[in-house]
Amino acid sequence: MIRKWGFVRIRTELIIFFLIIAVVPLSAVVYMSYDYSREAIRDTVMTNLLGATENSGNAIDNWMDVRKDDIRVISRSIEINTEKDELKDYLATYESEYQGVYEEFFLLDIDGNIIFSTLNRTGNAANVPYFTEASKGKLYISDVTLSESNGFPEIILTNPVMKNGTIAGILAARVSMENLYRILEDIDIGKSGEIFIVNKDGDIIFHNNRSRILHKNINNNFAVKEVTYEKNGINEYVNYKGEKVLGSYYWLPLYRWGLVVEKNIDEAYAGVFNLEHRMVSISTFAVIAVILAAIIISRRITGPIKSLEEGATGLLSGNFKPIPVSSSNEIGKLTKIFDDTALELLEIRKKLEAKIDIANKDLEQKNKELIAANEDLKKLDELKSDIISLVSHELKTPLSSIRISAEYLESEAKNDPEVQKEMFGIIIRNIDRLTRLINDILDLSKIDTGKMELQLERVDISEVVDTAIENNKLVSLKKNISITADIPGNISPVLADREKLIIVMNNLLENALKFTPDGGSIVLSAKDDADSIEVRMKDTGIGIEKEKLEKIFDKFYQVDSTSRRKFGGLGLGLSIAGGIIRAHGSEIRVESEIGKGSTFSFRLKKAEK
Amino acid sequence: MNKDPIDDKIIELLKHDGTTSNLEISRKLGISEEDVKTRIGNLSETRSKVLIVDDEMDTLLPLKRSLEAGDYIVVEALNGQEALNIVKNQIPDIILLDLMLPGMDGYEVCSRLKNNALTKNIPIIMLTARDDVKDRVKGLEIGADDYVAKPFNLHELKARMKSVLRRSRDM
Repeated sequence: MIRKWGFVRIRTELIIFFLIIAVVPLSAVVYMSYDYSREAIRDTVMTNLLGATENSGNAIDNWMDVRKDDIRVISRSIEINTEKDELKDYLATYESEYQGVYEEFFLLDIDGNIIFSTLNRTGNAANVPYFTEASKGKLYISDVTLSESNGFPEIILTNPVMKNGTIAGILAARVSMENLYRILEDIDIGKSGEIFIVNKDGDIIFHNNRSRILHKNINNNFAVKEVTYEKNGINEYVNYKGEKVLGSYYWLPLYRWGLVVEKNIDEAYAGVFNLEHRMVSISTFAVIAVILAAIIISRRITGPIKSLEEGATGLLSGNFKPIPVSSSNEIGKLTKIFDDTALELLEIRKKLEAKIDIANKDLEQKNKELIAANEDLKKLDELKSDIISLVSHELKTPLSSIRISAEYLESEAKNDPEVQKEMFGIIIRNIDRLTRLINDILDLSKIDTGKMELQLERVDISEVVDTAIENNKLVSLKKNISITADIPGNISPVLADREKLIIVMNNLLENALKFTPDGGSIVLSAKDDADSIEVRMKDTGIGIEKEKLEKIFDKFYQVDSTSRRKFGGLGLGLSIAGGIIRAHGSEIRVESEIGKGSTFSFRLKKAEK
Repeated sequence: MNKDPIDDKIIELLKHDGTTSNLEISRKLGISEEDVKTRIGNLSETRSKVLIVDDEMDTLLPLKRSLEAGDYIVVEALNGQEALNIVKNQIPDIILLDLMLPGMDGYEVCSRLKNNALTKNIPIIMLTARDDVKDRVKGLEIGADDYVAKPFNLHELKARMKSVLRRSRDM
């Protein structure tokens, strides 16, 4: 059995292996390319933002240059004392050409009094910087202010109007900053981004959200600080609102403005985040795909192995089913070999089981036989002691008769001569009986040791039969049993030992008489056959059970002990008869039917003529 | 032999029916049962009646002749059933019982006699050609009074019969 602990499935191993060789390099590659791409995107974003800022700065410059050129051209082309209507018409062309750029043109005398205004305004601006600065003979650009008329941010450009080499007056133009929006709106700042222009002090002079203009000083902003130090650049920082931003700043030295473009860092780097998301999803997808692929591949690899394992387990537990061969690779071949081997093993096992079964049955049978044999031996042992006691009884009974008779004769000899004669008769008869018994036992031992000698001669079977009938006449008369001989007169003589044959017939007849009830009959017959004579003896006796037919020729055998008591005798007669016939090269056959009788028969060779 | 009239009457009654018990006789003659028993014992004292049970005629006959020549009246039986019938009718003083009998064997006969109140006092000597200790013990256990093995000495048998008879009378 496989121990539970320390057991790692091949599938798990394969999956781990695949993950290590696929996911780790994949992750490294993904991370590296992500890192590289992020830097690239960041650089691009920064470059773009910085470029846009610079471009916008340049655009502002250009735009302002156009304004400056305009005011220079106008201031040269007019006279301070030009007719007002004429002047108005001339300036109106500028106003209409740059729709909404120029809010107002006005002329100031050298004292700062407004002498002409396209809006017909009057007043004095002697102390205002645009007048004092322009009075020094140079173009002046004011700071951004909010227009008094519409509240929009505006700047005022002033330039001296010369006459004969001296300043005759000052031309001023109020320029709306509205148009700057159009330029700056081209910069992509996202939803929450800000574009603003600060002055040297950090005040917002322009903001894409107009409401913020001039309302705040934000010189705590990193970019504002940098730009007010007249630096250009781009950086990430936390802006005045506390948001993390990517901010680019550009110093416009002519106007002492700092252009700042701020973009929410998340929006600025949306591409990076996008990339990040994409990378994460791609790598997640890749990892999942690798795991799935690993599972599928390992399943394809381990599936047949698992089937093999199950097959082997089944084989062990005796529940084997052939494993389907699902691939043509080494495992497939192995499966095929395993299947063949398992089937062969099962076949062998079946054969072995059958053999064991047979052996078991054989053993059982042998055991039964052994038990029966043992039983027989026990019976034989009992029989042996029975036989000893029987033999001693059979020997002692006639001895006893002889002894009592002799004692009688010895003590009472003076008595009746008839009685004396009777006693002698008893003595002689019992001596004969003893002799017969001893002869029987001797015959039997000769038969047993195969030493029986036959005096073969021509024997007339009817004579033998008659002798036997005569010998048993007394008993047959007493039991009223009729004995008939049915033998043809011309029957052929047989080759046999006459005396022994008489014993055979005698014993058979005695036996038949013993087991035939009173009033029965016994028929002795002989029949001439081709080269032998068949002798039969049929009685109307009690019959013999089939199982006991074989045993009746055993010595000392009687069907059971009660029959011994009932019928007497040693049970030697049939045994001796059988032995004699066997010595003649033949055999006594017996057929019997319980309650109806038995037939004993044997064949003897005919004597040669 | 004294000729007591009561004795004659007992003889008459017994001749009429051999199975009549001492109690019946005592009632009929108006004497005690004990008296009847004594009188019957005295009547047969001179010639005891012996029943020989043996299927071997050649044993039975010389034995019968020998005992008749002595002081015994001999009754014979060739098998167990016959012996039981005779005992009922003739009440022997002693039984010589062969063990190997056709049909009912000697043990069976002995145990039947000893289990019957009327016959249990009749002494039984077993005669047998089987003389294993086992056989002897079995015979004595079922109530035989003595056991003699064949072939036996006639004088010894007679001596044993006398001894057994004496014992039974003394009871």
